[in-house]
Amino acid sequence: MPIFDQGYQHWSGHLAGHAWRWLAITRRGVRTALQSWPVRLALVLSWIPALVLTFVLCMWGLVERQSETIATLRPFLMGMLGRPVVAGPLEYRADIWTLCFHYFLAWELWFSMILVLVVGPNLISQDLRYNALPLYFSRPLRRIDYFLGKLGVIVGIIGLALIVPSTIAYIAGLLFSLDITILRDTYRVLLAAVVYGLVIAFSAGLLILALSSISRNSRYISLMWLGIWMITGTVSYILVWVAQEQRLREGHFGRHGWFSEQFLTTEIDFEKTDWRSLISYTGNLQRIEERLLGTNSAWRKLFDIAPPNTRGSLLHRMLYTQHPWYWSAGVLLVLAALSACTLHFTVKSLDRLK
Amino acid sequence: MAEVEHDGGYGGRCPPYSFLDESLADGYTNLVMPANLFQFASVTKTYGHVRALDDLSLTVPTGAIGLLGPNGSGKTTMIRTLLGLIPVDRGSGEVLGMDFRHRQLDIRRDVGFAPEDECLFPHVQGVEFVAYAGELVGMSGGDALQRAHEVLDYVGLGEARYRKVESYSTGMKQRLKLASAIVHDPQLVILDEPTNGMDPAGRNEVLELARDLAHNKGINLLFSSHILPDVEAVCDYVVVLGRGKLLAQGAIQELKQTHEQSFDVRLKSDSAAFTQHLAKMGCVAEPRGELLRVRIPADKSPQCLWEAAAAERVQIRHLLPQRSTLEEVFLNAVERP
Ligand SMILES: Nc1ncnc2c1ncn2[C@@H]1O[C@H](COP(=O)(O)OP(=O)(O)OP(=O)(O)O)[C@@H](O)[C@H]1O
Ligand SMILES: [Mg+2]
Repeated sequence: MPIFDQGYQHWSGHLAGHAWRWLAITRRGVRTALQSWPVRLALVLSWIPALVLTFVLCMWGLVERQSETIATLRPFLMGMLGRPVVAGPLEYRADIWTLCFHYFLAWELWFSMILVLVVGPNLISQDLRYNALPLYFSRPLRRIDYFLGKLGVIVGIIGLALIVPSTIAYIAGLLFSLDITILRDTYRVLLAAVVYGLVIAFSAGLLILALSSISRNSRYISLMWLGIWMITGTVSYILVWVAQEQRLREGHFGRHGWFSEQFLTTEIDFEKTDWRSLISYTGNLQRIEERLLGTNSAWRKLFDIAPPNTRGSLLHRMLYTQHPWYWSAGVLLVLAALSACTLHFTVKSLDRLK
Repeated sequence: MAEVEHDGGYGGRCPPYSFLDESLADGYTNLVMPANLFQFASVTKTYGHVRALDDLSLTVPTGAIGLLGPNGSGKTTMIRTLLGLIPVDRGSGEVLGMDFRHRQLDIRRDVGFAPEDECLFPHVQGVEFVAYAGELVGMSGGDALQRAHEVLDYVGLGEARYRKVESYSTGMKQRLKLASAIVHDPQLVILDEPTNGMDPAGRNEVLELARDLAHNKGINLLFSSHILPDVEAVCDYVVVLGRGKLLAQGAIQELKQTHEQSFDVRLKSDSAAFTQHLAKMGCVAEPRGELLRVRIPADKSPQCLWEAAAAERVQIRHLLPQRSTLEEVFLNAVERP
């Protein structure tokens, strides 16, 4: 009996055009990623900061309404935010939202790096290991579609970890206050969060794709990614710290220099031309975040009304993001260009496969 | 047919394609079918010093086409050219009426291709594998999944559909590739050496599938192989390649016709007297290397060869009917250095 007794039917369905072909790769990639438990765990954990953010934004809504619910908390809030903020909250609305999102995004940056670590290394290296490229490229698919599709997986996952929760938290904060002027005051914050999520996704995505294409062994790729993330961060931090300590000694500020407004002010000036922060990959991303959100000017506004004994700690938070933002953007762009070149040479068309 | 007159006309040193190109090729394409599956015009493709395709011109009709040639003859290169996967140095051509230099994506949408080497989408079940292949051609997720189940049943992998493809045997992987090539019901299916590494039973199954697709389901087939019997089992028409050149093309039925009145004879001693004796009997004998090719008139039987040998006291050491053109061309291609 022939094995094909089941028969073969012709199929006359509809085939989509070529333009969205990359989406099939992205869809499949995201689905595969979501099947693995480390990814799911990291995603679930990455939603915790979003819950906190939502809670804090709602609390702020209560502050704005001078609600009785938080009357007992007022002394505490005044100590933390400063008396003028609690007394006239509407004036500081944009700044508080900015700073809330800033803390949220700092956490999400960390989770994004983790997610890239668990999703990214296999993206191309596994296709190389199993020789899947001929299967892709013999279908109506260009190399650029392949890259876009794979990049889309990272964008999708980071979207789930960062862009979707920030949007939901934003909307929750908005709904809780039931005040449409919030939209006018803070829409830039949401925009910044979304753009920042895309910046992380594209930058980290290209980087991990390039790494993923240079080895068939995904363990090496994970190690390289950890190196780029952790080692550049640590090296940059140590270099900055050594230089700061030296200036602290030279300026004879003693052990209390780190709380001295004068020392920190000169530090901030000094950092405006310091290259050491550029070494850190995540440092560069954070510099872009500051630029998008305008975190430093929010700190500055709180600084201006803060009592003298808390000003030092506010200045402290403005460190590390003082160099020109376009330096960091340049570093990220160079990395992206290098990644694209690497991809170009490692993922060959069939002409050069043999 | 033209080849009957010509086939005696070349010696071992004379390249066989010189006549096949001119007379056979044109003769058959005009004769067999009206529509063309694909055509090449002076296509040259080089890899460094290697001429993988050497000024190749041919027109191939629709149907079940065999692409026959020894290792390194340019079969895979030709298929990649058809699919627009590699740029050619020179020449042009069409597949299903589309220029392969400009409409690669459209061609690859209408064609299903199973590559020769082992390649897998990693860590998926059989059915996901085939569905993904369908999505990459533009099928919607639901359509692709449904079709995947159907074609897996068709190729006989229904039982294994939920197994991870890494655990498939070589034969199953070949059938999986076939299933992913036909999932979107293409107009043309290209199978590049689909019987590689398979045991006889598995090989027969794949051949049977390929034959069924081409003959009962009306799908055009380009079946590449270096094994003549495989091509004969599946195809109606054959293109023989050797070192990037076209050695022969034509309907297998006609290329395979044996030459009933023509024999290859090897004698122990000198053949001059024997040849003269045969000539007197109305036979035509021509030396071909160590052999003598003898064509005997229609009213005579091979018995006359023995009679002539006895009369001239020569000993016949070897007597075989002349091979079919196809065998001859193919063996020639394989033996060429
Ligand atoms: N990517 C490549 N780089 C260099 N040379 C190549 C490449 N692809 C093919 N060739 C050469 O071109 C010639 C034709 O190769 P091709 O793979 O087309 O032959 P084939 O008929 O498919 O052989 P096989 O039966 O072994 O698959 C060979 O000499 C081969 O070495
Ligand atoms: Mg080949």
